[in-house]
Amino acid sequence: MNRSDFASLGFGVGLRRPHYGHVLEQHPPMDWFEVISENFMVEGGRALEVLAGARAHYPVVMHGVSLSIGSSDPLNRAYLETLRAATRRFEPAWVSDHLCWTGVGGRNLHDLLPLPYTEETVIHVAGRIRQVQEILERTILIENVSSYMAFRSSRLEEWEFLTAVAEEADCGILLDINNIFVSAFNHRFDPLRYIDAVPADRVMQFHLAGHSDHGSYLLDTHDHPIRAEVWALYEHAVRRFGRVPTLIEWDDNIPDFELLAAAAAEARRRCDLALDSERSDAAR
Amino acid sequence: MYLNELQNFLYRRITNPDATNESLGDERGPAPRVLEALVRGDQRLSAAERVEIYANVYFYRLLECLGEDFPATLAVLGEDNFAALVKEYLLEHPPTEPSILYAALYLADFLNDHPFAERWPFIADLARLERAVLDVFHAADAPALGLETLHAVPSEDWPALKLRTHPAVEIVHSEWRIADLLHTVEQGREWTDPEHEEASVLVWRQNALVNYRNLEPEERDALVIVSKGASFAAVCEAIATRSEERNRVTLIGQLMAQWLADGVIMATDSMLVTTMRDALPSGRASGR
Repeated sequence: MNRSDFASLGFGVGLRRPHYGHVLEQHPPMDWFEVISENFMVEGGRALEVLAGARAHYPVVMHGVSLSIGSSDPLNRAYLETLRAATRRFEPAWVSDHLCWTGVGGRNLHDLLPLPYTEETVIHVAGRIRQVQEILERTILIENVSSYMAFRSSRLEEWEFLTAVAEEADCGILLDINNIFVSAFNHRFDPLRYIDAVPADRVMQFHLAGHSDHGSYLLDTHDHPIRAEVWALYEHAVRRFGRVPTLIEWDDNIPDFELLAAAAAEARRRCDLALDSERSDAAR
Repeated sequence: MYLNELQNFLYRRITNPDATNESLGDERGPAPRVLEALVRGDQRLSAAERVEIYANVYFYRLLECLGEDFPATLAVLGEDNFAALVKEYLLEHPPTEPSILYAALYLADFLNDHPFAERWPFIADLARLERAVLDVFHAADAPALGLETLHAVPSEDWPALKLRTHPAVEIVHSEWRIADLLHTVEQGREWTDPEHEEASVLVWRQNALVNYRNLEPEERDALVIVSKGASFAAVCEAIATRSEERNRVTLIGQLMAQWLADGVIMATDSMLVTTMRDALPSGRASGR
């Protein structure tokens, strides 16, 4: 993997339908946008116009939800061909998807399910990531997911599994800080331990988002402001990984664009503060 | 346990949480015991409760998505009936495509034979129209035949000009005035059962927006012919057989003008290219 393949994009937000008109007509200040790949893997119409319009003014990253890299099904070649065509047309800064499975038996759950964290799964998933990278002719990023169940057969911690897959596949990591927080609560592990264990040279992007609290568990809903505890984890991550491109995800109860942009600005402010404090500590 | 077995077991459990434990179990034993052996539970949440979170997310995500794609079907059935419909539909037609856009590809057909179709006999056609709106929204881009292009074709070549409908065009046939009902729901007004009257609805996209309107029989017949690919002469003939002799030319002119303005037809490439080249002055055709 070559770090120079991943630009320092800055602080962006997910491009979602309620903001299409505003973004295309007003070109509001924003470092970059991330789009859900599958929403733009269509034959024509408004979606492709929107992506072309956004791409003409901003860097764009394509973030998938149906690669199903951990499935026991064969890789979906037709899906990958369509994705490759989209990447050739829109030239995203990079492509990412999740370290999970989304379906089996040719059927799709449209959800991100965790894997058993074993050496066998590492080999299975890493081999598939390598195939995907060959087909797409680019290094991809894989993202840690929020999860609500863990398997008795797991022999590795989640961060060990993520690290092993990324090293074995030679791919990058999209580290979702909110997902670490959610899973840490749901499975009772220390989120700082997670962040401290992930290899710094592979983390190419952060995700930040809100979640909902169901009492006995947290659900990754992307429908709330980012919680203070997640911001604190983000600052810790910045001190460890540096100024990594950061993206605010908001997929439900989507606020006005200004509020979304304010969250990206807040990420920038916290990133700067965290790096300043890091430098001050180092100078002492 | 192999990954494939694990994933298939969880898939069955997540997509069919109401199934009996016997039907979900396998040679390893009844489902609860298999589940406990696979998934870690704790004092906060048992293994079954953890899997249930995924079952709920699966169902409610698809319910929300289908509700957004089929607002009129939802309005007619009501929330409870619509949720029951989606539950049954997903068991019969679980999503297979990477994009959630295609999750309800068979909903209209499923409604054909559903008990809801007895109470609301127009419901399958209404769902078919809503599906057509979605399909047209995402259909392939292609240059529509415009007035300027057509003017470049010598009028004596028009009869042989091969036409077809644009990829972002669908015609939905029904025995009910379903377009009126969809329009009422989209406007947020109170709806009533549609009139029981044969209607064909043209669904097309222009400037990235989807439009729909009822077709008169002459236009419907002509567009059905065009949708299969037909010469301009054959289209005129179809209109002529449907209309009175004195109105024919006017009607053909009106329909063509409307189709050109709406961007619903295109000329098949080779014919247009040939005709266009022949229509150009010889000097320009030689590239001077």
